[in-house]
Amino acid sequence: MLLLIVLLLPALAAVGVMAFSFRQAAALFALGAGVSETAAVGLVIWNVHTRGVLTYGKYLRADALSAFFLANLAIVFVLVLVYSIPYLRHIPAGRFSSPRWFYMLLFLFLFTIVAVYLSNNLGLLWIMMEATTLASALLVGFYNTEGAVEAGWKYLVVCTVGLAFALFGTIAFYLAAVRGGVSPELALQWPAALQAASSLASAGSLLKLAFIFLLVGYGTKIGLVPMHSWLPDAHAEAPSPISAMLSAALLNSAMYAVLRYDAIISRALGTGFSHGLLLFFGAASVLVAGLLMVVQTDLKRLLAYSSVEHMGIIAVGIGLGGPLGLYGALLHTMNHSVAKSLLFFGAGHVREGLGTSDMRRLKGLARVLPRTSAMLVIGVIAIAGLPPFGLFVSEFAILSAAFTQTRLLLGVLLLVMLSIVFGAMAYQFLKMLTGEPRSDQKMNNLVGAEFLAMAACAVGLIAVGIFMPAPLARLLHSAMAVLQ
Amino acid sequence: MGILDVAALKILSSAAVLLFTTALLMAGAKRISTCVYLFAFQSAVLTAQVFATAFVQHSPEAYAVGAMVLLVKVLGIPYALLWLMRRLRTPHDVGTTVGTGNSVFIMAGLILLSFSAVRLYLQDFLAVEVALSAAVALILSGAFLMVTRSKALMQVLGLLVLENGIFLAALVTTFGMPFIIEIGIVFDLVIGILLMGVFAFRIRDTFEHLDVSRLRRLRG
Repeated sequence: MLLLIVLLLPALAAVGVMAFSFRQAAALFALGAGVSETAAVGLVIWNVHTRGVLTYGKYLRADALSAFFLANLAIVFVLVLVYSIPYLRHIPAGRFSSPRWFYMLLFLFLFTIVAVYLSNNLGLLWIMMEATTLASALLVGFYNTEGAVEAGWKYLVVCTVGLAFALFGTIAFYLAAVRGGVSPELALQWPAALQAASSLASAGSLLKLAFIFLLVGYGTKIGLVPMHSWLPDAHAEAPSPISAMLSAALLNSAMYAVLRYDAIISRALGTGFSHGLLLFFGAASVLVAGLLMVVQTDLKRLLAYSSVEHMGIIAVGIGLGGPLGLYGALLHTMNHSVAKSLLFFGAGHVREGLGTSDMRRLKGLARVLPRTSAMLVIGVIAIAGLPPFGLFVSEFAILSAAFTQTRLLLGVLLLVMLSIVFGAMAYQFLKMLTGEPRSDQKMNNLVGAEFLAMAACAVGLIAVGIFMPAPLARLLHSAMAVLQ
Repeated sequence: MGILDVAALKILSSAAVLLFTTALLMAGAKRISTCVYLFAFQSAVLTAQVFATAFVQHSPEAYAVGAMVLLVKVLGIPYALLWLMRRLRTPHDVGTTVGTGNSVFIMAGLILLSFSAVRLYLQDFLAVEVALSAAVALILSGAFLMVTRSKALMQVLGLLVLENGIFLAALVTTFGMPFIIEIGIVFDLVIGILLMGVFAFRIRDTFEHLDVSRLRRLRG
């Protein structure tokens, strides 16, 4: 019952928010709905912790892994809501671009991602993954400028095609499970498929075919190279709260789908096959995205490529496997979400305030927007993986997993790319922050709510970096137990 | 053996030929509306296959799936696409980047490719070789149309053909997915087409054309 409430609350909120035509009223309603959803998610996590797996009917189920990702989603969503309240003043009034449409689509987007995490059935999981694309496409094109329309179209088409491949993979998986002796009604139920994993080995080549298609399909949504072409465009052209949602919530949900399949396939066929593929795509993403970051000229595109790079690092962590690799990968999804939200919030403020996010035209930011600049600096240090921030802990875990498994080449590649990325980001940001401001435009500094959202991110990152909060550690370990 | 049994078996054995024909004709079509009618015909063949399978398997759920496919893919989506074309008032050519003659040759090559690809997995799928090849050929032809045709509506059609291929693959290998999942997939498809229609209007309004190969502001 609780699961049903968590699932339907965002959908109801999406309908309800349409009743408010004033910006402040809509924002307040949205904030209230968001906080209640967070409370409900908190209850789910508590119940999973005390009672174990929760189920509702045949199709809804929450275990510790879902709880971990739900926690991640709830944190990001509340931050986005708080940040959106003042941000919405930048949205021009139009027939379909009023604040209430923004909130309606945002809540639908939340609904689809929550449904991904609560799906017990792998077919339903696919349906809801496709629905995430549909719910967010209009948000990506929300500004209705040339760039936004192009990015929205590309996002819709590329992700739909990618997910069509994932559907083919799902069908092949279903067939493999049926031929491995699972009854057709249960073949797509995740726990049943996991339990029967050892008998699935008889349909080995089919299972491999399925995983390749699933990884290409869901990998398109994760943004793994070479399927990442939609990602920089969508992240750069969307309104900044949506960029944060895409990077910090959507990419994780696709990663979650891959994790679920990876657990079954590696139990059926040994870890070699699926983990090898993940390592390959992950390393390719880190390499290509890291090199492309050096030549970016747009602030939000730079951050988008950084998301590709970090998704690559997470894929490498899952691919390395073992307690250390998986721990690093899961913790990294959380850290990356918070750090990237902080950066996109900052970048959004820069773009709306100064009218451009072209880094060649941004000079002397530290003088024009001192508080935003301070937050951006914190974000850059965090995302580069330096202590005392959380990303240092998770990247260190993944790197040590690489070296303890004596995958020296991979470890060295990661280290080299991380240094290149750090160099590129430090160079780009130093150029932007220093120097004389182009004109003496004095702009309004950070408004309370925007500053609050960004400061919360910074505090969270430091907290994870210095001392691991005990509830998070417990949640993380029980999430890992689900997969092993 | 009753007349219905004969009809069902005939449909199942000869559908693949019709599907190959639609794929080849689509590769050769010069106008978008031709492609829409071909897509409707292709979906009608699929519907017949679903009904034949339902009859052979005695499965009431499959009849419902067939009715849904008939309503959505044979009638609804083609009608909506034709309406969209009238409302958009843009040129009706498909916008080829590979000539139609060459496209037919390439399409024939893709059909051969799909036969050889299917042979590798025939042991696993235990399905009729021709039917499964037709499914893979449709997937490839959809992808081919999306890559080589530059008009926004042709990309939508390519996607629909690709989806038809996946649907057929599910039908011939597993006799369809669980019913509720099928409904969800079709629902997503309908919403997806709706959104692509919305974006088609927006592209036309912002760029004053529908040639997506000319959308190239965002690079790198």
